[in-house]
Amino acid sequence: MRWERKVEKAIAKYGKGSIRYIIEDGVVYLDGSVPSVEDFVEMGRAIGKIKGVRGVVNNLSYPGMKARERRKGRTEKIGRADAVIIGAGVVGCFIARELSRYDLDIILVEKGEDVATGTTKANNAMVHTGIGEKMGTLKQKLCVEGHQMYGGVAKELNVPYRKCGMWIITTEHTLESYRIPSFIANFISKHIIPYIVLGRGKKLGIPMKIVKRDELLREEPNVTKKALAAVYSPTYGVTCPYGLAIALAENAMQNGVKIMLNTEVVDIAVEDGGVKSVVTTEGTIDADFVVNAAGLFADEVADMAGAREYTIHPKKGSTLLFDREYGDHIKHSMSMLKFPRMEHYKGGGVMLTVDGNIQWGPTMEPFSGREDTSVKSEEIAEILEHFSLLLPDFPKDKVIAYFAGIRAATFTEDFFIRPSRKVRGFIHVAGIQSPGLAASPAIAKMVLGILKDEGLEMEEKKDFNPSRKKPVVFRELSREEKEKLIEENPAYGKIVCRCEQVTEGEVVDAIHSPIPALSVDAIKRRTRAGMGRCQGSFCLPRVASILARETGIGMEDVVKNSENSKLFVGKAKCLLVENAGGKNEG
Amino acid sequence: MKADVVVVGGGPAGLAAALKASEHADVVILERGSEPGGILPQCIHNGFGNFVFNKMMAGPEYAQHFIDRVNESGIDVKLETSVIEVRADKGKKVVAASPSGMLEMEAKSVVLAMGCRERSRAQILLPGTRPAGIYTAGTAQRLINIDGVMPGRRVVILGSGDVGLIMARRFTLEGAEVEGVYEIMPKPGGLTRNIVQCLDDYNIPLHLSHTVVDIKGRERVEGVTVAEVDGSMHPVKGTERFIPCDTLVLAVGLIPENELTRRAGIDIDGRTGGAYVDEHMETSVPGIFACGNVVHVHDLVDDVTVSSEIAGEYAGRHASGKNEKPGIKKGIKVVAGENVRYVVPQFLRHMDMEKLTFYLRVGEEKENVTVTVSCDGKVIFEKRERMVKPPEMVKVNVPASVIPEAEEGLRVDVAVNTEGKNG
Repeated sequence: MRWERKVEKAIAKYGKGSIRYIIEDGVVYLDGSVPSVEDFVEMGRAIGKIKGVRGVVNNLSYPGMKARERRKGRTEKIGRADAVIIGAGVVGCFIARELSRYDLDIILVEKGEDVATGTTKANNAMVHTGIGEKMGTLKQKLCVEGHQMYGGVAKELNVPYRKCGMWIITTEHTLESYRIPSFIANFISKHIIPYIVLGRGKKLGIPMKIVKRDELLREEPNVTKKALAAVYSPTYGVTCPYGLAIALAENAMQNGVKIMLNTEVVDIAVEDGGVKSVVTTEGTIDADFVVNAAGLFADEVADMAGAREYTIHPKKGSTLLFDREYGDHIKHSMSMLKFPRMEHYKGGGVMLTVDGNIQWGPTMEPFSGREDTSVKSEEIAEILEHFSLLLPDFPKDKVIAYFAGIRAATFTEDFFIRPSRKVRGFIHVAGIQSPGLAASPAIAKMVLGILKDEGLEMEEKKDFNPSRKKPVVFRELSREEKEKLIEENPAYGKIVCRCEQVTEGEVVDAIHSPIPALSVDAIKRRTRAGMGRCQGSFCLPRVASILARETGIGMEDVVKNSENSKLFVGKAKCLLVENAGGKNEG
Repeated sequence: MKADVVVVGGGPAGLAAALKASEHADVVILERGSEPGGILPQCIHNGFGNFVFNKMMAGPEYAQHFIDRVNESGIDVKLETSVIEVRADKGKKVVAASPSGMLEMEAKSVVLAMGCRERSRAQILLPGTRPAGIYTAGTAQRLINIDGVMPGRRVVILGSGDVGLIMARRFTLEGAEVEGVYEIMPKPGGLTRNIVQCLDDYNIPLHLSHTVVDIKGRERVEGVTVAEVDGSMHPVKGTERFIPCDTLVLAVGLIPENELTRRAGIDIDGRTGGAYVDEHMETSVPGIFACGNVVHVHDLVDDVTVSSEIAGEYAGRHASGKNEKPGIKKGIKVVAGENVRYVVPQFLRHMDMEKLTFYLRVGEEKENVTVTVSCDGKVIFEKRERMVKPPEMVKVNVPASVIPEAEEGLRVDVAVNTEGKNG
């Protein structure tokens, strides 16, 4: 049966709503309406699963569907670039940095107030080896490649990266959902599943070894006694996703890339079948090439160019973060195999971070909006319950934060990286969900290849500088280094964040860094001030007042992140003046 | 650098301990803030000094009294000096960072007086988004009273602890609208006098058995959803109510700040969150003392002052070699008996004081009770209380003579019994 037939059948089988479709160049365009968001997602998935379908553009409508308001663009010319990259997440930043090796005019545009404000900032930081991905997918290939490139990149850019290792563990829970006698289930979990995992690793060239229960429990005494066996993967890594994106952006900038923050793309002009210019809220940029790394909004951006070949299917993931004091509960990251793969825990685990905290998660919520990063009570309860199976004695009450990120998946569930077949010069870098962080070095390399093939001439710069200076991190220094630093600048002796031991000097550095940190969250991502157990209740007033002082604004105008996230409503007494009918000067 | 006594923290506990210790030895106070006084400078309301000075004072006034005396006594106060490590192995060392350099002090005695911090949103697993406009009560207090900025216009307060109640009044006086105070427990968390003076007097409603179940808003808080809770503190379906507001203030409890203590290898009592101390306020490590909110959270600064003076006294004596006989190793265990959540001190090792004060918190509110102190089953002291409740600390002064000489294996039970039962 040809795959087109399967599409027809899937839609007929579904039978709800009124659905029309056309197939063009391997892409299925769905149109019509369905009763609910669940149906919208189910239909997209059903089509996306069919082998042969290159992309699913899901234009089905459902009740309560919200269209995002598009902002107004400005037509005046503000520049020209050989390539405009849309989106400064880790992928966009990586592509920008790789392109900065060549004699090119590159502009990176980002609608947020900082780099890494979207999916990247809520990533769970794992540098996967590729073992968890579906065999034969593009994401698996790029993950395996990207993982091998990490050490070098992290070193050049002075970004924290470490091979923390990973246990893939089978327990008595692994097959408990099946109606088979437990002795058979346990036999399979102990003697068969680990070998299947090992075999896959071998095929991909990932070093791994099987570890018996006793050895696992000797190494990790806090793991559940219900563990049966484990596969150990020593090269599994962990990094700091926003730290990496910031470093890449800074290095790109240092090598000539122009970065425009608070700049939203609202239209893309196409002439004679090729990209002509990018219209933004700040003005119009002429460009020969456009790289669409817009993450959750990649389909909207593609639509602007008339090059839509996929619909983004946002999937929320929530993660719990624990106090660093309990970071030594385990030696390596770990995940528990459980079959059938639970909808809500795809890829989740108990993960170490580069900062010494342990995190649990992420979950997987397939019906989330693109911008709803709220964490629900049920999700928190589920995470605590699920991972307690693996670590029953973990101090679960030491949660210090939780956060959610939205995966920018497509319905075909693979990366979508290729030149548009409709618009010349428009390059899709879409559908980047996990393991996008691990794959990002390889994604950037692949995009460079595509641009070259599409006719972008690349001449290597002689003066490209691959390294980026590491900012001062007071808490990591030796006594002598601290002493020397404080002598040079006493601000490094003034601790403003008690939990993470961040000094005023580091906050000032962040504010005046190449991409100035002009919000409390931007400072937090660069220094960790506010990321500790008190979550900023101590340092917030201090950081806000330093930010006000260094940028010459009033403290009452300091923002948490975006323009409308003002922390204060004015100076003290401003409401009394207002209530009395006077003018508020604050 | 060497010192007889190093006091970590220059809040009310540290100041009182330092003053006492300075009667016996040279004292250095290490304070991370730019002025001494700890949290008191931002507590501009009155209610301090009621029984230490027999008058109502404002926080800064109460602090100033001690600051003046510290300055007169020649105690070395090092400001903007953050202690990053306390070492208890092979001599006692305190390491700190300050704008004038790294400081490493070798001390004969160390007094830990780091105070407490506020529980954050995550510690109560409060769901929702993470916009601007969510503040702990103490932070909001500092923002208004020290930094001079107004955190919000329309405020919902979660938690009826004392700081939350004080802030309900403070926000109102500053022209903001406090929609209400929500408390998950069936009884208020703060002192009765604060319920009356901060809520009732300003017509601010207190909703008991209620909690916040959702926070809305992407950039700034747009509102919160509150709901009633059942007996096991789970939200009751159908009772949800959305309240538009731009600010959520959290007054959901305080935690003794003991990261330095834990890393120094000092034993911590899981119930108080602070170090185990004996009647000298000495911890499990000889020569290291602890006092104030770092030991257990107090309701009144006056109690902090009194117990910190004990810590200072014995830290000073220890440093000057005046403690003739060392305490017995484990000592008499003080056990929290019926309806007692915790007792401080947790053990007795010296038996050289005339009077012992036990500080305790009850588990449940009860009327007409007897607080009994018994030793190996025999009641040795009792005291009647008209009313005990969890938010209000109970103090029991016991003449030391009633307790037998310290002996390993002995135990003292402190219990709160309803009258008619157990005498």
